[in-house]
Amino acid sequence: MKGAFTGPLEKVDSCCYRIPKSYRPDMRVDGLIFANETLLESIRKDQAPEQVANVATLPGIQSASFAMPDIHWGYGFCIGGVCATDPAEGGVISPGGVGYDINCGVRLIKTNLFLSDVKHRMRELVKGLFYTIPAGAGKSGAYRYDTTETRRLMGEGPRFVINRGLGVARDLEHTEALGRIDDADPDAVSDHAVKRGSEQCGTLGSGNHFLEVQVVDSVFDADVAAAFGLELNQVCVMIHSGSRGLGYQVCDDALTSFRSAPAKYGITLPDRQLACAPADSPEGRKYIAAMRAAANYGFCNRQLLMHQTREVFAEVFGRSWEDLGMDLLYDVAHNIAKLEEHTVEGRKKKVWVHRKGATRAFPAGHPEVPEAFRAVGQPVIIPGDMGRASWVLVGASGSMERTFGSTCHGAGRALSRTAAKLKASGRKIEKELEARGVIAMSSSRMGLSEEQPAAYKNVDHVVDVVHEANLSRKVARMRPIGVIKG
Amino acid sequence: MYELFEHTADLGLRATAPDLDTLFVDIATCLFTAIVEDVMAVRPVQDVRIEIEGADTEYLLVDWLQRLLYHCEADHLIFSRFDVQVTDTGLIGTAWGEPFDPARHALSHEVKAITYHELKVKRTADGWLAEVIVDI
Repeated sequence: MKGAFTGPLEKVDSCCYRIPKSYRPDMRVDGLIFANETLLESIRKDQAPEQVANVATLPGIQSASFAMPDIHWGYGFCIGGVCATDPAEGGVISPGGVGYDINCGVRLIKTNLFLSDVKHRMRELVKGLFYTIPAGAGKSGAYRYDTTETRRLMGEGPRFVINRGLGVARDLEHTEALGRIDDADPDAVSDHAVKRGSEQCGTLGSGNHFLEVQVVDSVFDADVAAAFGLELNQVCVMIHSGSRGLGYQVCDDALTSFRSAPAKYGITLPDRQLACAPADSPEGRKYIAAMRAAANYGFCNRQLLMHQTREVFAEVFGRSWEDLGMDLLYDVAHNIAKLEEHTVEGRKKKVWVHRKGATRAFPAGHPEVPEAFRAVGQPVIIPGDMGRASWVLVGASGSMERTFGSTCHGAGRALSRTAAKLKASGRKIEKELEARGVIAMSSSRMGLSEEQPAAYKNVDHVVDVVHEANLSRKVARMRPIGVIKG
Repeated sequence: MYELFEHTADLGLRATAPDLDTLFVDIATCLFTAIVEDVMAVRPVQDVRIEIEGADTEYLLVDWLQRLLYHCEADHLIFSRFDVQVTDTGLIGTAWGEPFDPARHALSHEVKAITYHELKVKRTADGWLAEVIVDI
């Protein structure tokens, strides 16, 4: 983490830079970082590029070790990292390539309201959301599931809660993997993890997680926006959260069980946090089964957050959520590993695609894109910071050709939490946001300081790169008007 | 002696102590200074006993903090006093605290996980030093 990256970054094209395999003898493939010259300057400032090189040493890695333009330092893998491994070539699965918050992700809910309908009701709306939706440390949710129910929920995904009236079947069609990753094994999840998760489904959590009321600020592709049901000044709700304590514990448990894996399988690791095991080993298989179960919990968590949001809107506006047109546009995971079919050097292969702070971005025609969007491509939801913007993109063909169907996931941090707090001292972030037209409420004094807009890179610059590289294309820019934070 | 230190997106815990037992006590207190705004206001009225096997001191430190974090999250307990005996084969510890009460306690960070990044437990000229980064 210490110091700037001084290794080679060779220009491939205007939006891609290479760390050649020759940089280190242990690299099996090149590192490829998607960035422009402006972003590259800040990317060089920490050791994230070295982490891209570290990932290039993993057994069974295919093509290259990738990083998206929102790359920043992370545990083991950088945030914004993508790598695919082939189990048939001894390819590994790495909890560090998924992250502690398994299936951290984002969903965007549409409404048929426009800015003019809500602007005089924003304080009431944000208060309603803040007092209904549990956010921040130490908050339990309104939904409690015992051990047996929590395990069933992990096996079934959001269908489990939808069957209890907390959503509708069409929500599933608009969720990545239809909200249920196959071959999840809830029994592979430890009792400790289940206990951590039993009261937390339907809670936002803290850190960078948020719920925002947003308006469509600009439309870049009118046809795709129309297919997605988005138009200028329309009000939407974006939810960013993951699998809560359950997912963190699944990651912890795997890192403990992987401690002896390098010696057992003859893997040399440049960083202990890169712990991994062959995907086809007993340790690997157990983590995969548990990680999939935790991912299903993550989809359920966002489903329950959406349900509570719909209830608050219905109460504030005195109309049912159906009447308010509060349909789910899409839900994407940005911390996950999935077994997907990709073409590598002309051959179709099933590979483990690790996306850690990266989003799946399948183009038009891909069978996994919901039928409603198959002609245009998969919606990609990119959260930014709470003062500037977030984005809706659409998966593009370049992602399949270059990055195993992946694109960026957000803005990426520019300041440490401590530096952000220092920068906030003596200021009233809440008032500053209000002056920008954003009503924000947070459960902790530190939440708003540490997550202030200046703590993040400008998401517009990140999106410019993935658009130019044709990994995903701009559809609409969203501007926040109401924020709740942990 | 303990302190929090800065790290990219997260927080670091650092403790120094004359012996290993005190080091484990101090790093645990440090963890709860990251979680609660005023750890001294947490009354030591309820105890949890924790036993962990393992010979690697660094892994033992991670396991100890992970277990405390588990009780914090799953049982809604926050801790302010600790007693630890580290042996060659593991540790036996007790943590004292009380259930989280929003009327009296303010939580500052939700610690997601104890990480292995730049994890250190080492001897120094005057005793021991431990450093661990927590994911928040």
